[in-house]
Amino acid sequence: MARIAIVGDSTSVAGFRPLGFAVYPVERPEDARDLWAGLVGGEYGVVFVTEPVYAAVEDLAAEAIDRPIPAVTIIPGAGSSGGVGGAKISRAIERALGTSMLIREEEE
Amino acid sequence: MTKMRVNPNRMELLKLKRRGEVAKRGHKLLKDKFDELLKEFIKRISENRKLRVEVERRLLGAYGLLAVARAEAGKANLTQALLAGEPGDLVDAAELRVMSVRVPEFTLGEIPEPGGYSLATMPAVLDDALEELAAVAPMMVELAGREKAIELLAAEIERTRRRVNALEYVLMPSIAETVKDIQMKLDEAERGNLTRLMKVKDIIAAQEAAGER
Repeated sequence: MARIAIVGDSTSVAGFRPLGFAVYPVERPEDARDLWAGLVGGEYGVVFVTEPVYAAVEDLAAEAIDRPIPAVTIIPGAGSSGGVGGAKISRAIERALGTSMLIREEEE
Repeated sequence: MTKMRVNPNRMELLKLKRRGEVAKRGHKLLKDKFDELLKEFIKRISENRKLRVEVERRLLGAYGLLAVARAEAGKANLTQALLAGEPGDLVDAAELRVMSVRVPEFTLGEIPEPGGYSLATMPAVLDDALEELAAVAPMMVELAGREKAIELLAAEIERTRRRVNALEYVLMPSIAETVKDIQMKLDEAERGNLTRLMKVKDIIAAQEAAGER
């Protein structure tokens, strides 16, 4: 069994504490960089990050991309527009297929 | 395509032909793997998109409810109320193999019942917010597993495509060209031998004719 971590501004993530998630509120997205090593060390199976946090740790998160665990997943934060997580997957699709044409076709 | 630097003899020719066969077989296998990976991948991405949209929509809804709760109870009170709860081992991370790619499969265990705050001081909308978060949590975990699988498959597809292309456009043509080159050189040597023999035969025949006279 593994734990779930969630990193983001306290407004977005505080609600997950009663559900048993390990909550890491950060005041500024950059603060998450200091936490990162502990998050991907293997203790957590899933790490949720809010969009602004992901933008701050993107280069660090790229290192964990080829390992099955942890799964770093982007969730929208309170007050962010969403769509960053979808963009991350689109990039993976582009990496695999060499094009993102296929996605547009499907959306239509 | 560049030729390989090998000695043009039968030994090398045989070796290269064998390598060519192996490369061809490997290429076919990898190509099949690539096609299958792609099939799996495309199936997953179309499923995933719906899930992500749903998760984002519901999360934003839950944030809205939390914002209302915060407005009603005050920020400090709400923070206090949400302090309850211990991080626990919530997910079971199993490893699946999809086309030799190790992908995680997360199963969410029991989520603790939200509570531990005073029902008298906290607005009812907080219950709704936490209920909504609890309902969306399994979907988030599911999403995490699926997106991770997509990323891992994408990496594997990229690797496989490179291998297929390297075999198809570099190794196999290069072997074919080298084989052809060696064959031509061997043929040329054979022709050289033959003309030399004929020449020698002619000389001997001429000498014998001169001796008989």
